[in-house]
Amino acid sequence: MLAFRSEAHVDRWRAQRCVPRGAILSLGQTWGLAEAWYANRLAPEWRRRTPDEAEAVFAGLGLTGEFWRLQ
Amino acid sequence: MSGELDNRVRLHIYERFVADGRPPTVAETAAALAIGDEEAAEAYRRLERARVIVLAPGTLDVWMANPLSAVPTPFRATTERGSFWGNCVWDGLGVIAMLGGRGALATACSDCGDPMTLAVEERTLAPADGVVHFAVPARRWWENIAFT
Repeated sequence: MLAFRSEAHVDRWRAQRCVPRGAILSLGQTWGLAEAWYANRLAPEWRRRTPDEAEAVFAGLGLTGEFWRLQ
Repeated sequence: MSGELDNRVRLHIYERFVADGRPPTVAETAAALAIGDEEAAEAYRRLERARVIVLAPGTLDVWMANPLSAVPTPFRATTERGSFWGNCVWDGLGVIAMLGGRGALATACSDCGDPMTLAVEERTLAPADGVVHFAVPARRWWENIAFT
């Protein structure tokens, strides 16, 4: 997952490397993922999410569709 | 009861990684937890199979204890508890989320190389221009966790 100045920069970078378009997130959505995924990582009770739970986190941030499916 | 042991090993890896700026070796973990080296090694392998940590290929050296990276990356997070490398933008911000929710991620636009700083205060991202590109669909992330 890489950062870019704008979507135009993503497109130029992709074109130079023949990388297909993946998913483009806002910085706010990326921070939301970071919080949801890692805020409790140091807790003794932490455990990996099930695919259903992970997809629910994605959906809560507006990340839906085939790209975000885990199963 | 490998689940309980694995969780103790997991917590030790993260605690030392944050305190020392590098992950502990198998021998260091074994000594700290008063277990055998092979017992610790097996726990490291199980944690990798469970996708909790990533080992450097062919070794028992921790490469990633997500969001932390043991090797330098273009994602440097500065927090109240020190500065660390994240594995990607998501993980770089994840380091800040994990270590108190205050800090800054220094990275750069992958296209033009312009520096980008993402600041977080009180678990809120400060307004900034930019987007993040995920190249690989979610179900394929673990096919090559170093390229997502």
